[in-house]
Amino acid sequence: MGFLPEIDVPLSAESLTTLKQNFGLAPGIYRAQMIRPDLVDAQVRLLDQLLFTKGALSRVQKEFILLAVSAENNNSYFPALHCQTLQFLGVKPEQSQRVAIDHREANLSEPEVVLLDFARKLASSPHSFTDVDVESLRKSHFNEEQILEAVLMVGLTQLLNCLQMGLGTEPDFKPRVIPVKEVNPPVASERQIPVPELSGDFASDDPDFEIVARVRNGETDAFEELVRKHGRRVYRSLLGIVGSPEEAEDGLQDVFFKAFQHLSHFEGRSRFSTWLVRIAINTGLQRVRSRKEFDSIDEDNEEFRPRNIQAWTDTPEDSYSREELRRLVEREVMKLPVKYRVALMLRDLEELSTEEAAAALGLSVPGLKARVLRGRLMLRESMVQYFSKTSAGKS
Amino acid sequence: MISCRDFISELGNLLDEDVASEIRQQLEAHLAHCNTCQVLYDSTRQTLRIVTESGSFEYPEPIAEPLVSKVMDRIRSSCEPDNPVRK
Repeated sequence: MGFLPEIDVPLSAESLTTLKQNFGLAPGIYRAQMIRPDLVDAQVRLLDQLLFTKGALSRVQKEFILLAVSAENNNSYFPALHCQTLQFLGVKPEQSQRVAIDHREANLSEPEVVLLDFARKLASSPHSFTDVDVESLRKSHFNEEQILEAVLMVGLTQLLNCLQMGLGTEPDFKPRVIPVKEVNPPVASERQIPVPELSGDFASDDPDFEIVARVRNGETDAFEELVRKHGRRVYRSLLGIVGSPEEAEDGLQDVFFKAFQHLSHFEGRSRFSTWLVRIAINTGLQRVRSRKEFDSIDEDNEEFRPRNIQAWTDTPEDSYSREELRRLVEREVMKLPVKYRVALMLRDLEELSTEEAAAALGLSVPGLKARVLRGRLMLRESMVQYFSKTSAGKS
Repeated sequence: MISCRDFISELGNLLDEDVASEIRQQLEAHLAHCNTCQVLYDSTRQTLRIVTESGSFEYPEPIAEPLVSKVMDRIRSSCEPDNPVRK
């Protein structure tokens, strides 16, 4: 049930045909607006002209924009719908999932990565959007018509996301594309993009089950307990990405605010804490990207070969005070490239399980393991200077 | 007999104590004769211990409560009827 009463008026034949041809059904978001059937027809015509009809951008590129921007908004309705649409267009679900989570890791062509950088920035930071961003598309050989379509697609996505949230439209389809593990055990390793809540079922052993339910029932003050309980984890996840305590404090406020705003979209198939960490990671990455110093997260295939194989003293930490050690670890961890750093932080500092960390980062379990190992080996390498038998205590 | 490369590819699982017993035996057999991998294994394990016990990236107690207040103030003000931000 949405926020407005459903009116039992059928869609016009034209709109129904267009929607069924492209989605296989008339999505609830349109049925929820039947108080004004004329506006529904206008929206479907816009969808048809801009998205379904061949334009300067390819249909897949436009669907990718819709997917990436919806994911950026933490919207769970459209990623599921459009992953399915993309599968009809021949895009593998795994690739759509990657685009939703982090398009830079989706094996897209360089121009498509630039296109989605552009779309995500316009959607999430319109105030810092400038002609430099438009120029980035030109440099990647997009023409003026394609640039206009990209802007329109971001606008269309924002309209759709806003409608769905504003009308409280519940998903009315099963996300056939996205594998969802059974609720019990609530391991989210296979679910990598937000999936609509279909039946209200909750990860049954989620320790936050009760508090989340109370907040969803309007008890806003109960959210405070969640902030207090998970603040540390959110702060550390953010700090590991952004590197500055001040920015982690700012980011923490954004994370909890977003979580509160989107709590009605929390599908409950993973633990609340995993969902929260995923928001923290997205928020952190967004901040780092906006600083334009984000190191490439494309996988480098070059194998990492450990060097400096020197034996360490038996209790290397004895040469340093606790405070020295803490600073030393923080300094060396922060030198790691962000993709390894975050994986290592989640596993070794936050002590998330491999499955939880993989789900939070939108990686496969083997992908996560590879990054954690690489991070550990790189960190070991940078620690040799302090802890090997020949150098212990000489920092 | 497994190679050093095979050993390194299993090192993460070994550190996480997530290897089947037959693989563990092979890895231990490799360690018994490969000093380089033994040093690598020991030093990576020590690295992990130092990292997890260092108390790094802690959430400073003095800021924890003020942050909770800030978050809740922002949330409560967004819920006020005349505020357009959706709850």
